Order: sequence, then structure tokens, then C-alpha cells
Amino acid sequence: MEKITKLGLLCSLVGLAAIYAGAIHVRPSVTPIAKIDNEFIGLKVIISGQVVDLRESNGHLFLTLQDNSDGTMAVPIFSSVRSQLGDSIEMLDEVQVTGEVTLYQGALEVVPEEAGDISIVHSPCLAISSVDNSLLGEPIKVRGVVDKREIVGRGNIILTLSEDGGQLAVFVSSSVAGSSDFPEVHVGYVVQASGWLQMYRNELELQVTRASNIKVIEAE
Amino acid sequence: MFDVLAFTALGVALGIFTGFLPGIHVNNLTPMLLALAVGSAFAPMTLAAAIVAMTITNTFISYIPATFLGAPEPGTELSVLPAHRLLMQGKGYEAIKLTAIGCFGGLLLSAALIWPMLLFIGPAYSAIRPQMHFLLAAVVIVMVALEKSKAGIFWAVAIFLLSGFLGLLSLDTNLIRGDVALMPLLSGLFGVSTLLLSLGNTGSMPEQRIDDGPLEMRRDLKPLFAGTAAGALTGIIPGIGPSQGTVLAQLATRSGGTREFIVSVSGVNTAKALFSFVALYAIGRARSGAAVAVEQLMEVGFRELVFLVGVALFVGGIAVILHMKLGRFAARNIGRLPYRATCIAVIASIVGLTIYYSGLIGLLILATATAIGILPAVVNVKRTHAMGVIMLPCILYFAGLKGSVLAALGL
Repeated sequence: MEKITKLGLLCSLVGLAAIYAGAIHVRPSVTPIAKIDNEFIGLKVIISGQVVDLRESNGHLFLTLQDNSDGTMAVPIFSSVRSQLGDSIEMLDEVQVTGEVTLYQGALEVVPEEAGDISIVHSPCLAISSVDNSLLGEPIKVRGVVDKREIVGRGNIILTLSEDGGQLAVFVSSSVAGSSDFPEVHVGYVVQASGWLQMYRNELELQVTRASNIKVIEAE
Repeated sequence: MFDVLAFTALGVALGIFTGFLPGIHVNNLTPMLLALAVGSAFAPMTLAAAIVAMTITNTFISYIPATFLGAPEPGTELSVLPAHRLLMQGKGYEAIKLTAIGCFGGLLLSAALIWPMLLFIGPAYSAIRPQMHFLLAAVVIVMVALEKSKAGIFWAVAIFLLSGFLGLLSLDTNLIRGDVALMPLLSGLFGVSTLLLSLGNTGSMPEQRIDDGPLEMRRDLKPLFAGTAAGALTGIIPGIGPSQGTVLAQLATRSGGTREFIVSVSGVNTAKALFSFVALYAIGRARSGAAVAVEQLMEVGFRELVFLVGVALFVGGIAVILHMKLGRFAARNIGRLPYRATCIAVIASIVGLTIYYSGLIGLLILATATAIGILPAVVNVKRTHAMGVIMLPCILYFAGLKGSVLAALGL
């Protein structure tokens, strides 16, 4: 019996050492999002990209990250993880996520397990005067004073933000403006808005697609 | 309706298959059923019925190899020794009858208890969730302390840590996909190791007596209740397997004896299987491979839960009869089987399947798990300490320490 005990113990330790060496060899590394396909399901990866969409539901946060490889990846941050997260995540922030690649309802996502799997670098706001046609179709983030607040059509809101002489129209559709988490915004408030830059009747316009993408920085 | 019946029958057939072969687990076959769901005209409900039918049938039938070959699947490992003891007294069929009482009784009782349980599972879970790591750690400490002797406690801790480290390395690194790693891990720790040890038994198989008396559930109510309660607990809390559940139930009820033991451990198993589907509805968490598969197929609301439980009860009725018939057949014929050759064939099939599903890495994991799985028997402590393979990663996860531990290990 003693022989078997020693043999069993020896084999376990040697096996563990070999598995450990193997595991070190295949540590997760930063992977371009476009390269991640079904082969990656069940493996851990590190992805790093810009938050191009952000949605909240039942305390969970659902991000879409885009990186230089032009791939996009869904990253759900469940409420248990989100509550441990010291920092908030905003549109256009640079976020690095370590997590397992899983398939959810036919689409791939990278799921962080704990707050330590997420690191956030806040992106600075763009000066409104520097917003021009070259940014059309891109996500941007700006900050400015609300000069004008108009309601057009059935409850859509157009805010005109100004900063250092530059002006930009921010379009908030009625579905976003009507949602319960859309903040009160009045003329004179300083707000931060993020969204996609588009052209409407020959004018540049920032389209806000989520209520959480409008933040009141200073209320008068 | 017809397709539900057809898929349920398919599930029962697959459950017999996975139950009989110790190396094949329900989890190996669910991907196949899920693949059927993609792009097929079958309603998710029918496929879910197949998965439930397979899980329940597998739970019953897996006691046949556990009893006659001493080859357990995860969850039946604790019943191996007492059932094997009965086998060696020529009472193999009685052991099968006891597992039938336990499995079927546990299924009926847990179905009856779902309604009252639903009222407090949700709130209880949210209350326990933040303290889960303490609860799991307490279970480990109780299990270890039960070894009593100093040497026993030393070995219990060693086996828990070895298997836990193995679990962490296999389930939480990129070496191999976590779900693929489970099979070599569990069949090594609980299957191959036991089979290897029973190869050393040279004793001949005694003549098996077959007692055709009816199943008497009434005298086993106490172990059945204990088993069902433990099963409900383990179906909802992650990381605790049926074996820990049984030991806790025994502690709570102070029941002992071979008969009660086999009944309650098999009751835990079916109750756990059923409650892992209840957990999907009550707390939205999947607590078994089969529940994960059902979750991927459909959203489980109250209506779906009633359907799943209905299928489980329907299948339970069929499975208990199949289990007794097949068990009887096994008892009649076990003497004719070359015992050693059968064990070797089962080991070979586990090794073959491991290589097929998970390659050489899987084989390395299987070998290491087997080496750890041999230790409890030779140093005379409970095999269930090897559940550290799932418990340790779970405790670290709930404590929010998994990332830092992996980082400290350079992973």
C-alpha cells in the first residue's frame, strides 16, 4: 500500500507540474478582435478596444468593443462584476478585458469574471470646434454648454452644444429621450454627449442612441 | 406531441448508453443534441425533453456499472463501496433495488417539494450568494474534520489541494476548454482510479441471489427526505456534488447503515438533477451540464419548468423499470463476465474517448487525475475530497480571488 501511495503521489505531482508548464505556455494574450472566431469558444483571451456601444439592463452593462483590427465584440459585464468595478465605463473609453469567449444566442462574446479582468482608460472629449466632415460615421464624445433645446417631431430632442465658439447639434430620438434614465437637460447645463457623427440636411449632427450617453456635468 | 415522445424516447436511449459506460457522461452528448437544434425544424422544447430524459435515465442506470464494476461516475462514487460490499455478499440486485428506491423516491419527493421550495429558493440564494465562498469552505472543513485521525486529516487536505490545483489548471487556463476538461478530470478522479484498484481484487464473484419482492419505499422515508433536501441544496449551490450532499444529510439526520446510505445518496442524485432545472427558473443559473444545454435552447419560465418536470417524472417511471430489469440482467450474468477483462475494457474505452475528445492534453489530465484519485483509497480517506477539483475553483471564484491566484501563479 505504501508503495502505491508514494507512486500515486509522485505521479500526481509530476502530472501537475507538466500541466502547469503547459498552462504557462498558453497564457491568454491580447488578441485582435477580428481574429476571434468559433475556434476560440471556451478559451480565455485579452481584448483591447474602444467602447462603441453601451447599454444597461437590470444592473448589467453590455458593451461593444471595437479595435484596430476593425472587429467588434460584445462584452457583458454582469451586475455582480459591475458592482465591484470602482470606475464607470463610458462610450469611447479604451477598455481592456480578459475573459472567456462564449457563444450566446449565436453570437460570440467575451465575458469577464471579476472586476480585475477589466481595465479602463477614459478617452478625453473632442473639442467641438475640431469636429468636421472627416469624422463622419465615427463615434465621438464632446462636452459643451446647452445653447438651445428644441423638440421636433414626436418628442425628439435637438440640443445645440457650444464650446469655445464651436457649435454642434445633438439629436436625441424620442425613444431615447423618453426612457426613464434620460437625464433632465435644460439650456445652460454643461453636458457630455457621445454618439455617432452623421450628416442631416447638410449639417453635422451627433446622434445619441442610448440614454446613458448623455451625462449632465454641471446643472445651473 | 408525437415529436416530444420521440425525443423523450431518444433521450432515454442515450441515457442508458451514457449510464452504462462510465467514461461517457451526459455532457459528452448534449453538444450533439444542441447541434440538432441549430437550423432544424424541431422545437427547442422537444430537444430539452430529450436532454431531461437523458439526464434522468443516466442517473438511474449509472448505478449499474457503479455496483457491478465498481466504476462510478461523478456523483455515484460514494455508493460504490457499500454497493460493492452487497455485491460481494451476493446481493448485487438488492443494491440495485435500493438505488431504484433512492432515485425514484428522490425524484417524486423533489417534484412534490418544488412548489414550496420555489417560494424561498430565490430569496435564499440572493442572501447566500455574497457568502457563498464561506459556505463552500465550511462544507470542505466539515468534510475534512470528519476524517478524525491526524493522518486522515492531513491526507484529506492534501487530496483536496492536489485535485483543486488540478481543477484550477485544467478548467481556468487556455490549455484545454473547461467543458472538455471535465470528462478526463472526473473520470480520472472517480472512474479509472477505482477500476484500477478493483483490478487488484482477485476474489471470485459470489453467486448472486435475486429477491423479487416489491419496492418498499415507506421504510426508507427518512433517508429519502434527507437525500432530497441535500439534492435540492446541491442543485442550487454550485460546486457541491451529491457526495458532499449525502455526507451533510447523514450528519444532519444521524442516519447510518448501508441500506440508508445507498438510498439517500441515490436520492440526492435525482433530486440534484431535477433541481438543477428548477434553479434555471428560480435563480436563472445553470447548475449542471444538462441545465446549461437547456438554457442555451430556451428561456425557462414557469410553463417550461412544469413541462421539464413533467418529462422528468414520466421518464423516471420508465427509467426505474429499465433500471431494475437491466440490473437484474446484470446480476444474473455478472458471474459469467470475465471481471478483470471487463474492467480493462472499460478503462481502455475511457482512455480512447479522452484522446478522441480532448487529445494528448486530455490524456495527461486523465493520468494525473487518476493518480490523485487512487490516493484516497490507499490512504483510507473519503474519495469525495477529490471534489476539490471543482470546489477550490468555485471558492476562489466566489471570493473574487481566482484572478489574483492565477496571476500569482503567472497564468
